[in-house]
Amino acid sequence: MSRVPKVERAPKRRVNLLRKEGITDVDWKDATLLRKFISDRGKIRSRRVTGLTPQQQRQVATAIKNAREMALLPYPSQGR
Amino acid sequence: MVFMRHYEVMVILDPSLDERTIAPSLDTFLNVIRTTGGNVEKVEVWGKRRLSFEINKNPEGIYAVLDLISTPDAVKELDRQLGLQETVLRTKVIRREPAKAAKVAARIAAKASAKAAKKA
Repeated sequence: MSRVPKVERAPKRRVNLLRKEGITDVDWKDATLLRKFISDRGKIRSRRVTGLTPQQQRQVATAIKNAREMALLPYPSQGR
Repeated sequence: MVFMRHYEVMVILDPSLDERTIAPSLDTFLNVIRTTGGNVEKVEVWGKRRLSFEINKNPEGIYAVLDLISTPDAVKELDRQLGLQETVLRTKVIRREPAKAAKVAARIAAKASAKAAKKA
């Protein structure tokens, strides 16, 4: 009976609530803040990465989408 | 009493315009709001900014943000008139929640005073 040794994975605490910086309501005009929540491809970072609460993630996501419409943030770059 | 709401209107204007002429020319459009009993709280011209992507082949645009208290119909009309303008690249109207914003401001103020108290 061989047991695969369990890989000890240090629970890498994600940046945990960048949000704890005191921002409770996301402003869609704050492009510099929102930029922290998109990848260099322009995609919205997942909750797994951002460590936000569901409510915050939703706020951020809609804010990013609004900002995109006004060309403050890029759309995900097309192709591959 | 007509139903009033808080709105935030963002406009992207053609970058070839002179930035000094923007506030006055936007003001003429805002007459729609004023004549219908609305109120213009703030006109903020951000100035020229790089766009994340080209709009009508323009790599840049002049941003302006308007804070209004107005009837829904007046804002709709303002948005329509702005959209007809060829120098306007894009507009966006968003409803603001004044109660929420005030609450946030209060919380931030409370936090700041608490921090100051701790420091003292």
